[in-house]
Amino acid sequence: MSDLAQLQGAFQAYITQHDPAMLEHVVSTPAATAEQRLEIYAEAYRLRLLETLETDFPGLHGLLGDVQFEQLGRAYIDACASQHASIRWYGGRLSDFLRDRSPYREQPALAELARFEWAQGEVFDAADATPMGIAALQGIAAQDWAELSVQVHPSTRLLNLSWNVPVVWQALDADEAPPPLSAAERPVAWLMWRRELRPHWRSLQPDEAWALQQALAGGSFGVICEGLQTWLEVEQIPLRAAGFIKQWVSDELVVELRLSSKAAS
Amino acid sequence: MQRGSAKPERKQRVNEHFLGFGLGLRPDHHQTVVDQRPPVDWFEILSENYMVAGGKPLHFLDRIRADYPMVMHGVSLSIGSTQALDRNYLHDLRALAVRVQPRWISDHLCFTGVQRQNLHDLLPMPYTEEAIAHVADRVAQVQDYLGQQILLENVSSYVTYRDSALTEWEFLTQVADRADCLILLDINNIFVSSRNHAFDPMEYLLGIPIRRVRQFHLAGHTYQGEIAVDTHDQPVLDEVWNLFAEAVRRFGAVSTMIERDDNIPELPELLAELDTARRIAEPLLAGGARE
Ligand SMILES: [Fe+2]
Repeated sequence: MSDLAQLQGAFQAYITQHDPAMLEHVVSTPAATAEQRLEIYAEAYRLRLLETLETDFPGLHGLLGDVQFEQLGRAYIDACASQHASIRWYGGRLSDFLRDRSPYREQPALAELARFEWAQGEVFDAADATPMGIAALQGIAAQDWAELSVQVHPSTRLLNLSWNVPVVWQALDADEAPPPLSAAERPVAWLMWRRELRPHWRSLQPDEAWALQQALAGGSFGVICEGLQTWLEVEQIPLRAAGFIKQWVSDELVVELRLSSKAAS
Repeated sequence: MQRGSAKPERKQRVNEHFLGFGLGLRPDHHQTVVDQRPPVDWFEILSENYMVAGGKPLHFLDRIRADYPMVMHGVSLSIGSTQALDRNYLHDLRALAVRVQPRWISDHLCFTGVQRQNLHDLLPMPYTEEAIAHVADRVAQVQDYLGQQILLENVSSYVTYRDSALTEWEFLTQVADRADCLILLDINNIFVSSRNHAFDPMEYLLGIPIRRVRQFHLAGHTYQGEIAVDTHDQPVLDEVWNLFAEAVRRFGAVSTMIERDDNIPELPELLAELDTARRIAEPLLAGGARE
Protein backbone atom coordinates (compact mmCIF):
# COMPACT_ATOMS: atom_id res chain seq x y z
CA MET A 1 0.00 0.00 0.00
CA SER A 2 1.30 3.48 -0.85
CA ASP A 3 2.07 5.97 1.89
CA LEU A 4 -0.86 8.05 0.74
CA ALA A 5 -3.31 5.14 0.82
CA GLN A 6 -2.08 4.13 4.23
CA LEU A 7 -2.47 7.65 5.60
CA GLN A 8 -5.98 7.98 4.21
CA GLY A 9 -7.03 4.61 5.57
CA ALA A 10 -5.67 5.50 8.99
CA PHE A 11 -7.44 8.87 9.00
CA GLN A 12 -10.74 7.25 8.10
CA ALA A 13 -10.25 4.58 10.77
CA TYR A 14 -9.66 7.30 13.36
CA ILE A 15 -12.76 9.20 12.35
CA THR A 16 -15.06 6.19 12.24
CA GLN A 17 -13.60 4.01 15.01
CA HIS A 18 -11.06 6.13 16.88
CA ASP A 19 -8.30 3.79 15.73
CA PRO A 20 -5.17 5.31 17.35
CA ALA A 21 -2.82 4.39 14.47
CA MET A 22 -3.44 7.81 12.94
CA LEU A 23 -2.03 9.68 15.94
CA GLU A 24 1.57 9.16 14.86
CA HIS A 25 0.94 10.82 11.49
CA VAL A 26 -0.14 14.12 13.02
CA VAL A 27 1.96 16.86 14.60
CA SER A 28 1.07 18.03 18.11
CA THR A 29 1.59 21.71 18.87
CA PRO A 30 1.22 23.83 22.01
CA ALA A 31 -2.16 24.97 20.67
CA ALA A 32 -3.57 21.46 20.38
CA THR A 33 -2.37 17.86 20.56
CA ALA A 34 -2.64 15.44 17.65
CA GLU A 35 -5.53 13.79 19.43
CA GLN A 36 -7.42 17.06 19.95
CA ARG A 37 -6.92 17.92 16.31
CA LEU A 38 -8.13 14.56 15.03
CA GLU A 39 -11.03 14.69 17.44
CA ILE A 40 -12.34 17.79 15.64
CA TYR A 41 -12.76 15.66 12.52
CA ALA A 42 -14.20 12.66 14.36
CA GLU A 43 -16.84 14.72 16.11
CA ALA A 44 -17.63 16.88 13.06
CA TYR A 45 -18.26 13.65 11.15
CA ARG A 46 -20.86 12.53 13.68
CA LEU A 47 -22.48 15.94 14.01
CA ARG A 48 -22.81 16.30 10.27
CA LEU A 49 -24.52 12.94 9.89
CA LEU A 50 -26.69 13.59 12.95
CA GLU A 51 -27.80 16.85 11.40
CA THR A 52 -28.85 15.16 8.19
CA LEU A 53 -30.78 12.52 10.16
CA GLU A 54 -32.54 15.30 12.09
CA THR A 55 -33.51 16.94 8.82
CA ASP A 56 -34.83 13.74 7.28
CA PHE A 57 -36.57 12.34 10.36
CA PRO A 58 -38.12 15.29 12.20
CA GLY A 59 -41.04 13.19 13.46
CA LEU A 60 -38.82 10.51 14.91
CA HIS A 61 -36.70 13.25 16.45
CA GLY A 62 -39.80 14.85 17.99
CA LEU A 63 -41.13 11.57 19.29
CA LEU A 64 -37.85 10.39 20.85
CA GLY A 65 -36.64 13.79 22.06
CA ASP A 66 -33.12 15.21 21.64
CA VAL A 67 -31.28 12.82 23.94
CA GLN A 68 -32.72 9.56 22.67
CA PHE A 69 -32.61 10.67 19.07
CA GLU A 70 -28.93 11.50 19.38
CA GLN A 71 -28.33 8.11 20.99
CA LEU A 72 -30.08 6.43 18.10
CA GLY A 73 -28.23 8.56 15.55
CA ARG A 74 -24.82 7.77 17.02
CA ALA A 75 -25.61 4.05 17.11
CA TYR A 76 -26.70 4.20 13.47
CA ILE A 77 -23.60 6.17 12.48
CA ASP A 78 -21.35 3.62 14.15
CA ALA A 79 -23.17 0.77 12.42
CA CYS A 80 -23.74 2.28 8.98
CA ALA A 81 -21.08 4.09 6.96
CA SER A 82 -22.24 6.36 4.17
CA GLN A 83 -21.56 4.99 0.72
CA HIS A 84 -23.35 7.71 -1.17
CA ALA A 85 -21.95 10.63 -3.10
CA SER A 86 -24.67 12.80 -1.61
CA ILE A 87 -25.45 12.95 2.11
CA ARG A 88 -29.10 13.18 1.09
CA TRP A 89 -29.24 9.35 0.94
CA TYR A 90 -27.55 8.65 4.26
CA GLY A 91 -30.70 7.87 6.26
CA GLY A 92 -31.98 5.23 3.84
CA ARG A 93 -31.21 2.33 6.16
CA LEU A 94 -32.48 3.88 9.39
CA SER A 95 -35.86 2.18 9.18
CA ASP A 96 -34.26 -1.26 8.78
CA PHE A 97 -31.86 -0.43 11.59
CA LEU A 98 -34.78 0.36 13.91
CA ARG A 99 -36.62 -2.76 12.85
CA ASP A 100 -33.66 -5.07 13.49
CA ARG A 101 -31.76 -3.63 16.44
CA SER A 102 -32.45 -3.85 20.11
CA PRO A 103 -33.81 -1.89 21.93
CA TYR A 104 -35.58 -0.26 18.98
CA ARG A 105 -37.05 -3.45 17.57
CA GLU A 106 -39.17 -3.77 20.71
CA GLN A 107 -41.04 -0.65 19.50
CA PRO A 108 -41.91 -1.56 15.90
CA ALA A 109 -43.78 1.72 15.41
CA LEU A 110 -40.42 3.53 15.30
CA ALA A 111 -39.27 1.66 12.21
CA GLU A 112 -42.59 2.43 10.57
CA LEU A 113 -42.37 6.11 11.40
CA ALA A 114 -38.88 6.17 9.87
CA ARG A 115 -40.14 4.41 6.77
CA PHE A 116 -42.98 6.92 6.49
CA GLU A 117 -40.60 9.86 6.77
CA TRP A 118 -38.06 8.40 4.36
CA ALA A 119 -40.82 7.85 1.82
CA GLN A 120 -41.68 11.54 2.05
CA GLY A 121 -38.13 12.34 1.04
CA GLU A 122 -38.28 9.91 -1.87
CA VAL A 123 -41.52 11.43 -3.05
CA PHE A 124 -40.14 14.95 -2.66
CA ASP A 125 -37.43 14.64 -5.30
CA ALA A 126 -38.61 11.68 -7.41
CA ALA A 127 -38.64 12.16 -11.19
CA ASP A 128 -40.98 14.70 -12.76
CA ALA A 129 -43.96 13.96 -15.01
CA THR A 130 -46.88 16.11 -16.11
CA PRO A 131 -50.20 14.82 -14.74
CA MET A 132 -53.05 14.40 -17.22
CA GLY A 133 -56.11 16.61 -16.95
CA ILE A 134 -59.56 15.37 -16.03
CA ALA A 135 -60.95 16.59 -19.38
CA ALA A 136 -59.00 13.94 -21.26
CA LEU A 137 -61.14 11.24 -19.61
CA GLN A 138 -64.12 12.29 -21.67
CA GLY A 139 -62.38 11.48 -24.93
CA ILE A 140 -62.04 7.80 -24.15
CA ALA A 141 -64.37 5.51 -26.09
CA ALA A 142 -66.44 3.09 -24.01
CA GLN A 143 -65.07 -0.01 -25.78
CA ASP A 144 -61.46 1.05 -25.02
CA TRP A 145 -61.74 1.17 -21.24
CA ALA A 146 -60.97 -2.48 -20.58
CA GLU A 147 -57.66 -2.19 -22.46
CA LEU A 148 -56.45 0.95 -20.75
CA SER A 149 -53.52 0.86 -18.41
CA VAL A 150 -52.71 3.65 -16.01
CA GLN A 151 -49.31 5.25 -16.01
CA VAL A 152 -48.91 6.77 -12.56
CA HIS A 153 -46.65 9.59 -11.47
CA PRO A 154 -43.07 8.42 -10.72
CA SER A 155 -43.32 9.74 -7.17
CA THR A 156 -46.14 7.33 -6.27
CA ARG A 157 -45.51 5.09 -3.26
CA LEU A 158 -47.76 2.58 -1.50
CA LEU A 159 -47.00 1.94 2.16
CA ASN A 160 -48.61 -0.65 4.37
CA LEU A 161 -48.57 0.67 7.91
CA SER A 162 -49.63 -1.22 11.00
CA TRP A 163 -49.39 1.80 13.29
CA ASN A 164 -51.03 5.20 13.34
CA VAL A 165 -47.77 6.87 12.36
CA PRO A 166 -49.22 9.32 9.78
CA VAL A 167 -51.48 10.78 12.46
CA VAL A 168 -48.68 10.91 14.98
CA TRP A 169 -46.41 12.52 12.41
CA GLN A 170 -48.95 15.18 11.56
CA ALA A 171 -49.39 16.13 15.21
CA LEU A 172 -45.63 16.35 15.70
CA ASP A 173 -45.31 18.41 12.54
CA ALA A 174 -47.90 20.85 13.89
CA ASP A 175 -46.09 21.01 17.24
CA GLU A 176 -49.03 19.39 18.97
CA ALA A 177 -48.97 16.57 21.49
CA PRO A 178 -49.16 13.37 19.41
CA PRO A 179 -51.82 10.75 20.14
CA PRO A 180 -50.46 7.55 21.67
CA LEU A 181 -48.99 5.11 19.18
CA SER A 182 -51.48 2.40 18.47
CA ALA A 183 -51.63 -0.55 16.12
CA ALA A 184 -54.56 -1.11 13.76
CA GLU A 185 -56.23 -4.52 13.62
CA ARG A 186 -54.71 -5.06 10.21
CA PRO A 187 -52.20 -3.00 8.21
CA VAL A 188 -53.60 0.05 6.43
CA ALA A 189 -52.49 0.95 2.91
CA TRP A 190 -51.29 4.52 2.45
CA LEU A 191 -50.81 6.23 -0.86
CA MET A 192 -48.08 8.84 -0.99
CA TRP A 193 -47.29 11.01 -4.00
CA ARG A 194 -46.12 14.46 -4.98
CA ARG A 195 -48.55 17.14 -5.94
CA GLU A 196 -47.61 20.77 -6.54
CA LEU A 197 -44.05 19.99 -5.44
CA ARG A 198 -45.12 18.66 -2.01
CA PRO A 199 -45.63 15.13 -0.69
CA HIS A 200 -49.28 14.24 -0.07
CA TRP A 201 -50.77 11.09 1.39
CA ARG A 202 -54.07 9.44 2.16
CA SER A 203 -55.20 6.06 3.38
CA LEU A 204 -56.87 3.65 0.99
CA GLN A 205 -59.66 1.10 1.32
CA PRO A 206 -58.42 -2.42 0.60
CA ASP A 207 -60.06 -2.52 -2.84
CA GLU A 208 -58.55 0.79 -3.95
CA ALA A 209 -55.16 -0.23 -2.59
CA TRP A 210 -55.33 -3.45 -4.58
CA ALA A 211 -56.46 -1.63 -7.72
CA LEU A 212 -53.66 0.90 -7.45
CA GLN A 213 -51.11 -1.84 -6.90
CA GLN A 214 -52.32 -3.48 -10.10
CA ALA A 215 -52.13 -0.17 -11.93
CA LEU A 216 -48.56 0.35 -10.69
CA ALA A 217 -47.67 -3.10 -11.99
CA GLY A 218 -49.11 -2.24 -15.42
CA GLY A 219 -52.39 -4.13 -15.13
CA SER A 220 -55.18 -2.99 -17.47
CA PHE A 221 -58.45 -1.54 -16.32
CA GLY A 222 -60.12 -4.81 -17.37
CA VAL A 223 -57.84 -6.84 -15.15
CA ILE A 224 -58.46 -4.46 -12.28
CA CYS A 225 -62.24 -4.72 -12.68
CA GLU A 226 -62.07 -8.49 -12.73
CA GLY A 227 -60.05 -8.60 -9.54
CA LEU A 228 -62.39 -6.24 -7.74
CA GLN A 229 -64.88 -9.13 -7.50
CA THR A 230 -63.04 -10.06 -4.32
CA TRP A 231 -64.67 -7.05 -2.66
CA LEU A 232 -67.70 -6.12 -4.77
CA GLU A 233 -70.75 -7.49 -6.55
CA VAL A 234 -70.21 -7.55 -10.31
CA GLU A 235 -72.76 -4.80 -10.95
CA GLN A 236 -71.08 -2.44 -8.46
CA ILE A 237 -67.68 -2.76 -10.09
CA PRO A 238 -67.85 -0.36 -13.09
CA LEU A 239 -68.95 2.58 -10.96
CA ARG A 240 -66.41 1.89 -8.24
CA ALA A 241 -63.55 1.41 -10.72
CA ALA A 242 -64.47 4.52 -12.68
CA GLY A 243 -64.53 6.37 -9.36
CA PHE A 244 -60.96 5.28 -8.65
CA ILE A 245 -59.72 6.53 -12.01
CA LYS A 246 -61.47 9.88 -11.62
CA GLN A 247 -60.07 10.28 -8.16
CA TRP A 248 -56.54 9.40 -9.27
CA VAL A 249 -56.71 11.79 -12.18
CA SER A 250 -58.01 14.63 -10.05
CA ASP A 251 -55.34 13.81 -7.45
CA GLU A 252 -52.78 14.44 -10.23
CA LEU A 253 -51.57 10.91 -9.80
CA VAL A 254 -52.08 9.84 -13.40
CA VAL A 255 -49.65 10.79 -16.13
CA GLU A 256 -51.30 8.93 -18.97
CA LEU A 257 -53.97 6.37 -19.79
CA ARG A 258 -52.49 4.07 -22.35
CA LEU A 259 -54.13 1.55 -24.61
CA SER A 260 -52.42 -1.75 -23.85
CA SER A 261 -52.10 -4.28 -26.67
CA LYS A 262 -55.15 -6.52 -27.20
CA ALA A 263 -52.94 -9.59 -26.86
CA ALA A 264 -51.91 -8.62 -23.35
CA SER A 265 -55.36 -8.93 -21.88
CA MET B 1 -15.89 24.64 -22.64
CA GLN B 2 -19.56 24.95 -21.77
CA ARG B 3 -21.04 28.40 -21.65
CA GLY B 4 -24.33 29.74 -20.43
CA SER B 5 -26.67 30.75 -23.19
CA ALA B 6 -29.83 31.49 -21.26
CA LYS B 7 -29.20 35.20 -21.06
CA PRO B 8 -26.80 37.70 -22.61
CA GLU B 9 -23.79 38.40 -20.43
CA ARG B 10 -23.70 41.55 -18.40
CA LYS B 11 -21.11 44.00 -19.63
CA GLN B 12 -17.79 43.06 -18.06
CA ARG B 13 -15.24 45.80 -17.89
CA VAL B 14 -12.56 43.79 -16.29
CA ASN B 15 -12.23 40.32 -17.73
CA GLU B 16 -14.53 37.72 -19.16
CA HIS B 17 -14.30 35.50 -16.08
CA PHE B 18 -15.27 38.17 -13.60
CA LEU B 19 -18.89 37.47 -12.72
CA GLY B 20 -19.00 40.04 -9.95
CA PHE B 21 -20.36 39.32 -6.47
CA GLY B 22 -22.41 36.21 -5.84
CA LEU B 23 -23.91 34.00 -3.18
CA GLY B 24 -24.16 30.32 -2.52
CA LEU B 25 -27.70 29.34 -3.47
CA ARG B 26 -29.44 27.58 -0.57
CA PRO B 27 -32.87 25.92 -0.63
CA ASP B 28 -34.01 28.26 2.17
CA HIS B 29 -33.82 31.12 -0.31
CA HIS B 30 -35.18 29.44 -3.44
CA GLN B 31 -38.63 31.00 -3.23
CA THR B 32 -37.36 34.46 -2.30
CA VAL B 33 -34.89 34.48 -5.16
CA VAL B 34 -37.60 33.53 -7.65
CA ASP B 35 -40.07 36.06 -6.24
CA GLN B 36 -37.75 39.01 -5.71
CA ARG B 37 -34.84 38.55 -8.12
CA PRO B 38 -32.41 40.03 -5.62
CA PRO B 39 -29.39 42.04 -6.78
CA VAL B 40 -26.89 39.19 -6.79
CA ASP B 41 -24.59 38.98 -9.82
CA TRP B 42 -24.44 35.18 -9.87
CA PHE B 43 -25.09 32.07 -7.81
CA GLU B 44 -22.96 29.12 -6.89
CA ILE B 45 -24.94 25.91 -6.44
CA LEU B 46 -23.92 22.88 -4.43
CA SER B 47 -23.93 20.27 -7.17
CA GLU B 48 -25.02 17.42 -4.90
CA ASN B 49 -28.18 19.30 -3.88
CA TYR B 50 -29.43 19.02 -7.43
CA MET B 51 -28.28 15.51 -8.29
CA VAL B 52 -31.83 14.26 -7.81
CA ALA B 53 -34.43 12.99 -10.23
CA GLY B 54 -36.92 15.87 -10.02
CA GLY B 55 -39.24 17.77 -7.73
CA LYS B 56 -38.65 21.05 -5.96
CA PRO B 57 -34.84 21.27 -6.18
CA LEU B 58 -34.76 21.06 -9.98
CA HIS B 59 -37.93 23.14 -10.30
CA PHE B 60 -36.21 26.05 -8.57
CA LEU B 61 -32.85 25.39 -10.16
CA ASP B 62 -34.22 25.86 -13.66
CA ARG B 63 -36.13 29.01 -12.75
CA ILE B 64 -33.22 30.64 -10.99
CA ARG B 65 -30.77 29.62 -13.70
CA ALA B 66 -32.95 31.44 -16.24
CA ASP B 67 -32.28 34.68 -14.35
CA TYR B 68 -28.68 34.34 -13.14
CA PRO B 69 -25.27 33.05 -14.23
CA MET B 70 -24.29 30.00 -12.20
CA VAL B 71 -21.27 27.99 -11.24
CA MET B 72 -21.33 24.45 -9.85
CA HIS B 73 -19.49 23.56 -6.66
CA GLY B 74 -19.21 19.94 -5.49
CA VAL B 75 -18.16 18.25 -2.27
CA SER B 76 -17.89 14.59 -3.28
CA LEU B 77 -15.39 14.42 -6.12
CA SER B 78 -12.76 13.24 -3.61
CA ILE B 79 -10.03 14.14 -6.08
CA GLY B 80 -7.28 13.23 -3.62
CA SER B 81 -8.58 9.82 -2.58
CA THR B 82 -6.57 6.70 -3.32
CA GLN B 83 -9.80 4.94 -4.17
CA ALA B 84 -10.87 4.93 -7.83
CA LEU B 85 -12.84 7.91 -9.13
CA ASP B 86 -16.58 7.39 -8.76
CA ARG B 87 -17.78 7.03 -12.35
CA ASN B 88 -21.45 7.26 -11.37
CA TYR B 89 -20.78 10.51 -9.61
CA LEU B 90 -18.94 11.90 -12.62
CA HIS B 91 -21.79 10.84 -14.86
CA ASP B 92 -24.33 12.64 -12.68
CA LEU B 93 -22.09 15.69 -12.44
CA ARG B 94 -21.79 15.91 -16.20
CA ALA B 95 -25.53 15.46 -16.63
CA LEU B 96 -26.15 18.32 -14.19
CA ALA B 97 -23.64 20.48 -16.06
CA VAL B 98 -25.53 19.87 -19.29
CA ARG B 99 -28.67 21.11 -17.56
CA VAL B 100 -27.13 24.09 -15.78
CA GLN B 101 -24.51 25.15 -18.34
CA PRO B 102 -22.40 26.56 -15.50
CA ARG B 103 -19.64 29.07 -16.10
CA TRP B 104 -17.36 26.58 -14.37
CA ILE B 105 -17.26 23.55 -12.07
CA SER B 106 -15.30 23.32 -8.85
CA ASP B 107 -14.58 20.93 -5.98
CA HIS B 108 -11.98 20.70 -3.22
CA LEU B 109 -8.35 19.69 -3.03
CA CYS B 110 -8.99 16.95 -0.49
CA PHE B 111 -10.23 13.41 -0.04
CA THR B 112 -13.60 12.46 1.43
CA GLY B 113 -13.03 8.79 2.19
CA VAL B 114 -11.55 5.48 1.06
CA GLN B 115 -12.87 1.91 0.73
CA ARG B 116 -16.09 3.14 -0.86
CA GLN B 117 -17.01 5.18 2.17
CA ASN B 118 -17.94 8.83 2.10
CA LEU B 119 -17.24 10.68 5.33
CA HIS B 120 -18.90 13.79 3.88
CA ASP B 121 -15.96 15.85 5.05
CA LEU B 122 -13.12 17.59 3.24
CA LEU B 123 -10.02 15.89 4.59
CA PRO B 124 -6.66 17.52 3.87
CA MET B 125 -3.98 15.96 1.71
CA PRO B 126 -0.39 15.48 2.83
CA TYR B 127 1.79 17.93 0.93
CA THR B 128 4.02 15.41 -0.79
CA GLU B 129 5.31 14.64 -4.27
CA GLU B 130 3.30 11.41 -4.25
CA ALA B 131 0.07 13.31 -3.55
CA ILE B 132 0.78 15.91 -6.25
CA ALA B 133 1.30 13.23 -8.88
CA HIS B 134 -1.75 11.34 -7.71
CA VAL B 135 -4.09 14.35 -7.74
CA ALA B 136 -2.74 15.72 -11.03
CA ASP B 137 -3.41 12.42 -12.74
CA ARG B 138 -6.98 12.32 -11.46
CA VAL B 139 -7.70 15.95 -12.33
CA ALA B 140 -6.64 15.14 -15.88
CA GLN B 141 -9.14 12.27 -15.98
CA VAL B 142 -11.94 14.48 -14.63
CA GLN B 143 -11.18 17.35 -17.01
CA ASP B 144 -11.14 14.93 -19.93
CA TYR B 145 -14.47 13.51 -18.88
CA LEU B 146 -16.14 16.88 -18.30
CA GLY B 147 -14.52 18.47 -21.34
CA GLN B 148 -13.41 21.52 -19.39
CA GLN B 149 -10.94 22.73 -16.81
CA ILE B 150 -12.08 22.45 -13.20
CA LEU B 151 -11.31 24.63 -10.20
CA LEU B 152 -9.87 23.14 -7.03
CA GLU B 153 -10.47 24.87 -3.71
CA ASN B 154 -8.09 25.01 -0.75
CA VAL B 155 -9.75 23.52 2.36
CA SER B 156 -9.52 24.48 6.02
CA SER B 157 -7.44 22.04 8.01
CA TYR B 158 -6.90 21.25 11.66
CA VAL B 159 -4.02 18.79 11.33
CA THR B 160 -0.46 18.95 10.02
CA TYR B 161 0.85 15.64 8.74
CA ARG B 162 4.36 14.52 9.59
CA ASP B 163 4.66 13.40 5.96
CA SER B 164 4.18 16.89 4.51
CA ALA B 165 7.31 18.20 2.84
CA LEU B 166 5.87 21.37 1.25
CA THR B 167 3.79 24.33 2.35
CA GLU B 168 0.10 24.21 1.50
CA TRP B 169 0.45 26.96 -1.12
CA GLU B 170 3.38 25.18 -2.78
CA PHE B 171 1.30 22.04 -2.88
CA LEU B 172 -1.76 23.78 -4.32
CA THR B 173 0.31 25.59 -6.92
CA GLN B 174 2.13 22.46 -8.02
CA VAL B 175 -1.10 20.50 -8.31
CA ALA B 176 -2.67 23.27 -10.41
CA ASP B 177 0.38 23.60 -12.64
CA ARG B 178 0.88 19.89 -13.10
CA ALA B 179 -2.81 19.22 -13.74
CA ASP B 180 -3.38 22.46 -15.63
CA CYS B 181 -6.47 23.22 -13.58
CA LEU B 182 -7.72 26.43 -12.02
CA ILE B 183 -7.96 27.54 -8.40
CA LEU B 184 -10.88 28.55 -6.23
CA LEU B 185 -9.24 30.44 -3.42
CA ASP B 186 -11.20 30.33 -0.18
CA ILE B 187 -10.01 33.36 1.75
CA ASN B 188 -11.57 32.19 4.98
CA ASN B 189 -9.92 28.77 4.66
CA ILE B 190 -6.54 30.42 4.19
CA PHE B 191 -7.17 32.44 7.33
CA VAL B 192 -8.39 29.45 9.34
CA SER B 193 -5.46 27.26 8.29
CA SER B 194 -2.99 30.08 8.95
CA ARG B 195 -4.23 30.24 12.54
CA ASN B 196 -4.18 26.50 13.01
CA HIS B 197 -0.75 25.96 11.50
CA ALA B 198 0.91 29.26 12.41
CA PHE B 199 1.81 30.52 8.94
CA ASP B 200 1.50 33.99 7.44
CA PRO B 201 -1.59 34.16 5.21
CA MET B 202 0.08 36.87 3.12
CA GLU B 203 2.84 34.46 2.27
CA TYR B 204 0.14 32.05 1.10
CA LEU B 205 -1.47 34.66 -1.17
CA LEU B 206 1.88 35.65 -2.63
CA GLY B 207 2.69 32.02 -3.33
CA ILE B 208 -0.34 31.42 -5.54
CA PRO B 209 0.01 32.11 -9.29
CA ILE B 210 -2.32 34.96 -10.29
CA ARG B 211 -3.46 33.54 -13.60
CA ARG B 212 -4.81 30.33 -12.07
CA VAL B 213 -7.26 31.97 -9.65
CA ARG B 214 -10.79 32.08 -11.03
CA GLN B 215 -12.97 32.44 -7.92
CA PHE B 216 -12.92 33.52 -4.26
CA HIS B 217 -14.94 32.13 -1.37
CA LEU B 218 -15.71 34.11 1.76
CA ALA B 219 -17.26 32.60 4.89
CA GLY B 220 -17.41 32.77 8.66
CA HIS B 221 -15.59 30.60 11.17
CA THR B 222 -15.58 29.95 14.93
CA TYR B 223 -13.11 28.70 17.52
CA GLN B 224 -12.95 25.41 19.38
CA GLY B 225 -10.40 26.21 22.05
CA GLU B 226 -7.29 27.38 20.21
CA ILE B 227 -8.36 25.90 16.89
CA ALA B 228 -10.22 27.91 14.26
CA VAL B 229 -12.98 25.86 12.66
CA ASP B 230 -14.52 26.53 9.27
CA THR B 231 -18.18 26.46 10.29
CA HIS B 232 -19.88 28.72 7.70
CA ASP B 233 -22.44 29.54 10.37
CA GLN B 234 -21.89 33.25 10.91
CA PRO B 235 -20.83 36.44 9.12
CA VAL B 236 -17.39 36.91 7.63
CA LEU B 237 -15.00 38.14 10.34
CA ASP B 238 -12.96 41.35 10.10
CA GLU B 239 -9.65 39.50 9.83
CA VAL B 240 -11.01 37.70 6.79
CA TRP B 241 -12.26 40.94 5.21
CA ASN B 242 -8.75 42.33 5.63
CA LEU B 243 -7.26 39.30 3.95
CA PHE B 244 -9.85 39.59 1.19
CA ALA B 245 -8.68 43.14 0.51
CA GLU B 246 -5.13 41.84 0.18
CA ALA B 247 -6.34 39.12 -2.17
CA VAL B 248 -8.10 41.69 -4.37
CA ARG B 249 -4.92 43.77 -4.45
CA ARG B 250 -2.95 40.77 -5.63
CA PHE B 251 -5.38 38.92 -7.88
CA GLY B 252 -7.53 41.79 -9.18
CA ALA B 253 -11.08 41.19 -10.35
CA VAL B 254 -11.94 37.66 -9.26
CA SER B 255 -15.52 36.39 -9.00
CA THR B 256 -16.34 36.54 -5.30
CA MET B 257 -19.08 34.91 -3.29
CA ILE B 258 -20.17 34.27 0.28
CA GLU B 259 -20.88 30.79 1.59
CA ARG B 260 -23.35 30.32 4.42
CA ASP B 261 -24.36 26.77 5.30
CA ASP B 262 -25.63 26.94 8.85
CA ASN B 263 -27.67 29.49 10.85
CA ILE B 264 -28.78 30.65 7.44
CA PRO B 265 -30.28 34.16 7.80
CA GLU B 266 -32.88 35.84 5.62
CA LEU B 267 -31.57 36.88 2.25
CA PRO B 268 -31.29 40.65 2.98
CA GLU B 269 -28.68 39.95 5.64
CA LEU B 270 -26.53 38.11 3.11
CA LEU B 271 -27.09 40.83 0.53
CA ALA B 272 -25.79 43.37 3.03
CA GLU B 273 -22.75 41.19 3.64
CA LEU B 274 -22.20 40.98 -0.09
CA ASP B 275 -22.28 44.78 -0.24
CA THR B 276 -19.41 44.79 2.21
CA ALA B 277 -17.43 42.67 -0.25
CA ARG B 278 -18.27 45.13 -3.02
CA ARG B 279 -17.34 48.11 -0.87
CA ILE B 280 -13.96 46.59 -0.17
CA ALA B 281 -13.19 45.38 -3.67
CA GLU B 282 -14.52 48.07 -5.96
CA PRO B 283 -12.21 50.94 -4.94
CA LEU B 284 -9.24 48.59 -5.20
CA LEU B 285 -10.30 47.45 -8.65
CA ALA B 286 -10.95 51.02 -9.83
CA GLY B 287 -7.49 51.87 -8.54
CA GLY B 288 -5.98 49.78 -11.31
CA ALA B 289 -5.29 46.37 -9.86
CA ARG B 290 -4.48 43.59 -12.25
CA GLU B 291 -6.40 43.68 -15.52
FE1 LIG C 1 -15.19 27.32 0.45
